[in-house]
Amino acid sequence: MKIFRKFTVTALTAVIAVSTAFAGIASAADTLKGKITINGSTALLPLTLQAAKEFQKLHPKVKIAASGKGSVTGPQAVKKGIADIGAVDWDASTDVPGFKAFEGQVANKVAVIPFATIVNKNVGVDNLTTEQLKGIFSGKIKNWKEVGGADADIVVITRAFGSGTRVNYQAKALDGGDIVKKEKNYKETGSSGDMKTAVATTPNAIGYIDLVYVSGDVKAVKFNGVEATTNNVINGSYKIWAYGYYMTKGQPEGITKEFIKYVQSSKFQQGSLKKLKFIPISAMK
Amino acid sequence: MSGSSSTGKGHPVKGGRTQAMEFSRTRYTARAQRRNKAATFGFYTLGFLVMLLIFWMLFTILAKGLPALSFDFLIKQPEEIDPGGGIGPVLFNSFYILFISLLISVPIGIGAGIYMAEYAPDNAFTGALRICVESLSSVPSIVFGLLGLAIFAEYFDVGLTILGGGVSLALLNLPMLARVTEEAVRAVPGEIREAGYALGMTKFHVIRKVVLPVALSAIITGVCLVAGRAFGESAVIILTAGLSTSGEMWDFNLFSPGETLAVHLWYVQSEAIVEDARQIADKSAAVLVFVVLLINLAFRLPLWFGKRRQGH
Amino acid sequence: MGSPVHNLTSRAKGNAVAVSASPKRHSRHLLSNTLFRYYFLFSILALCLVLGLVILFIGKTALLLFGQISPLDFFFSFNWTPEEEAFGAAAFIVNTLSLTALTLLIAVPVSVGMAVLCAEIAPKWMKNFIRPVLDLLVGIPSIVYGYLGLTVLLPFLRRASGEGLGDGLLAAALVLALMVLPTICRISDDAIVSVPRKYRDAAYALGSTRLQVIFRVVLPAAKRGIISAVILGMTRAVGETMAVVMVIGNTPQLAKTLFTPSSVLTSNIVMQISNVEFDSTWNYALHMMAFLLLLISFMLILVIRILGRKRREV
Repeated sequence: MKIFRKFTVTALTAVIAVSTAFAGIASAADTLKGKITINGSTALLPLTLQAAKEFQKLHPKVKIAASGKGSVTGPQAVKKGIADIGAVDWDASTDVPGFKAFEGQVANKVAVIPFATIVNKNVGVDNLTTEQLKGIFSGKIKNWKEVGGADADIVVITRAFGSGTRVNYQAKALDGGDIVKKEKNYKETGSSGDMKTAVATTPNAIGYIDLVYVSGDVKAVKFNGVEATTNNVINGSYKIWAYGYYMTKGQPEGITKEFIKYVQSSKFQQGSLKKLKFIPISAMK
Repeated sequence: MSGSSSTGKGHPVKGGRTQAMEFSRTRYTARAQRRNKAATFGFYTLGFLVMLLIFWMLFTILAKGLPALSFDFLIKQPEEIDPGGGIGPVLFNSFYILFISLLISVPIGIGAGIYMAEYAPDNAFTGALRICVESLSSVPSIVFGLLGLAIFAEYFDVGLTILGGGVSLALLNLPMLARVTEEAVRAVPGEIREAGYALGMTKFHVIRKVVLPVALSAIITGVCLVAGRAFGESAVIILTAGLSTSGEMWDFNLFSPGETLAVHLWYVQSEAIVEDARQIADKSAAVLVFVVLLINLAFRLPLWFGKRRQGH
Repeated sequence: MGSPVHNLTSRAKGNAVAVSASPKRHSRHLLSNTLFRYYFLFSILALCLVLGLVILFIGKTALLLFGQISPLDFFFSFNWTPEEEAFGAAAFIVNTLSLTALTLLIAVPVSVGMAVLCAEIAPKWMKNFIRPVLDLLVGIPSIVYGYLGLTVLLPFLRRASGEGLGDGLLAAALVLALMVLPTICRISDDAIVSVPRKYRDAAYALGSTRLQVIFRVVLPAAKRGIISAVILGMTRAVGETMAVVMVIGNTPQLAKTLFTPSSVLTSNIVMQISNVEFDSTWNYALHMMAFLLLLISFMLILVIRILGRKRREV
C-alpha cells in the first residue's frame, strides 16, 4: 500500500509539472486563446479535425475539442450549451422532415457535400431514375430485373433514421419519398464506413453514401443519367448534394467566429477542403 | 480404446494419480473408463478447435497490420488528408485514460468486493445489491457515456476531457471489478480464515495476509479482463473525451480532449476520408491486440515470479 | 493448488506469533483494522453511489415516457415506428431474450468445457499457453469483432443459408458467443482451480475416473463460481452493442427466423440515441429501454441464481 501511495503522489506531481511546462511553451504574442468544443455530424468530422489542426498551429493558445456521434447531436449540444459549434449536414435553423427547427441558432455554411447511390460490384445496373430509386427504397421494387438488371433480390442497405446522410438522400434523391423497412433483405447501418463495407461485401446490395467515400470496392450508379462527380455537382446537373453547416447559438463570437472564418476562408476552402474532396461553398454561387 | 489395456495394472495416470482398479474391475468401471477416455479426447478436440478459431482470428487481425507496422506509425500524428498518418497521441491517451480509470476503479472495486464478501451481512438487501451490481454490466456502455456527458460536460461544464473519459470508464468497470473480487474472496476456503482468527489476528490482518494472497490470482484475472475491456472501449470515450487530440504527443493535461486508440480505430473504420484509412485501421487493430497482450503480461509476470519465490 | 493453503496458514501462524510478541504492533493492527473497515465501507458506498447515479440518470428520463404513452403500448406493441409516434418495444424485448438464450446455448458448453480442459486436464505448458491467449481475446475491441463478423462471418452464413443478407440473430449470437467465451471461461477456470484438492483426491481414492470426478465432484463444487461466470458473460452479451449492430441488421421487427434482420434493445439504443432530440418521446422511450435492460438482466440473474440454488439442495 505504501508503495502504491508513493507512486500515486509521484505520478500526480509529474502530471502537474509537465502540464504547466507545456502551457508555458505556447507563444506569448498570440492574442487568441480559449477552448472551442465542436460536436455533431461524423460526416463533417474529417474536415473539422483538419481545420482544427491548422487553426491550432496558427493560434497555439486555442484548444479545440471535437467529437461526433450523429447529426442532430450538433445543434442539440449547442442548445444545451455543451458545445460551441454543432456540425450538421442540414440547415438545423429550419424545419426538416423528422426534426423541428432549433430556435435562435445560426447556420454557417462550411462545405458542399455530394452524395452517391452505390451498389455492390456484382450489380449490372449503371443508372437509376428517381422513380426507380423510390420504388427500391419503399420496397415496391424487389428484384434487380425490374430495373434492367439480373434476376436477383435487391438487398436494401440504409442509414438509421436521423442520420444526416439519410435526411439529405431522402430529400434529394427520393424526392421526399419514404424508406420502408422490409422483412427480408433490408439492413440499417450506423456509419459511413459500415455502409460501405456492407454494400461492398453483400451481393445485390444497394445503399447511399457521401461521394467522398466511394472507391474501388463499390460502384456508384448514375442518377437520372448523370454521373456522380464533383464537376456535375458544380455545373448543377447532379442534384444529390447538400451544404454542411456549423450551427452556433446566435451569431458566432470571439474565437468561435475566428475559427468559422478560417474554415470559410478561401485558403482553407481551396486548399485542405478540396483535398478532402468536399466542394468549396463558393463554387455553388 | 479398449478399457482392458489401461485397467488391471493400476498404473499411474497423468498427475500421478493412481486409479484403484484392481479390486473393482467390473463392466461398470470398464464403461466408465471408456467414457473417460472419450471425454478426454472430446475436451482436447474442443480446446484444439477453439484455439484454432482464436488463432485464425488473431492471424487475420495481425497479418494485415503487423507487417506494415513501423515505429514511426506509433509516434506520428494522425493525418486527415495525406496518407501515412500515425497514432502517437492517440496511443498515449489510451494509456493515460486507462491509467486514470484503473487508479479509480481498482482500489474502490476491490474494496467494495471485499466488503461484500467479508463484511456485508448475508441478508436480502446484500443479495439484491449483488444482483443490481451484476445487472449494471448489461447496461450498454453508451449509457455510461451519456452519464459521463451529463456529469462532466453539463454539470461541471469542462467539455470533452481526458479526466471525464477516465472517470466514466472507471464507472463502467467498477461493477465488474467488485463482482470478480467478491467471487475470488469468497472462493477462499473458510478454514484458512478461521486458522487466522484462532491465532488472534484482526479481521483486516487476516484479509491482507491470508485471504488476499490466495485470491490474488483471480483478482488479477479480473483486473486484466477489465483493463482489456477499458482499452478497447469506444462509445464511452467518444461521448466524454471526444474524437480529437490536443495535437501534442505528451499532453498530461487532464483537461485536454483525449481520443484513444479504440476510438481512433472506430473513426478510421467509420468516417475517415484519408486514403490509407483501411491500412491504418488494420495497423491500429494489431497494435490494440498487442497492447492488451502486454497489459496481461505486465499484470501477470509479478504473480508468476511471486509464485516461484514461494516455491511453486 | 492445495499447498498454498498450508503454506499460508503457516505464514499466518508466524505473523500471529509476532503479533503477540509486540504490543505496539498489535495496536497498529487494531488501528489498520478499523481504518480499512471504514475504507471498505466507503468503497461499497461509492459503488452504491454509482449504481444509484445510473438508475437515477436512466430512470429520471425513462419515466417521462409514461406521461406521454401508455405502458401497455410500450411493452406489448410490436410496432416501433417512432417517426409516426408508435413506440412498441415488444419486438426488442423478445429478440433480446432469444439472442441471449441462443448466445448462452452456444457459449456456455464451449466455455465451461475449455475451463475444465484448462483447470483439470491439460498439462501445465498447455494451461500456460491457453490462458493468456483467452485473456487476449477480451481486449480485442468489439468493433474488430464486428468488422470480422461483417466481412467473414456474414458472407459465410450467406453461402451456407442461401439468404441474401445473412444478418440476424444467428450471426449476432455467434459473434457474441466468441466475445463472452473468455469471460465465462477464465472466471469458471478460476472457480474450478479453487476447488480444494482433497475433494478430488477423495473421489479418486474411491476409484472414480477423471470424467466422474469432473462432473460429480469438481463442477458441483465450483458451481457457485461458474454460475457467476455465466452471469457476467450473459450481462456482457445483453449489454454488448458495437459488434451486434454490425451483424444483426438493425430492423425493428420480431426475429421470426435466425436470419431475419432484426434489432435488440441495445442495438436499437445505440443506433438511435445519438439521432434523437433530448426532449422527445423517442428519447424517453430509448431511456426506458435502457432501464428495461437493467430489469431484464436483474430478472435473468435472479432466475439463474434460483435455479442454481435449487439444484444444489437436491
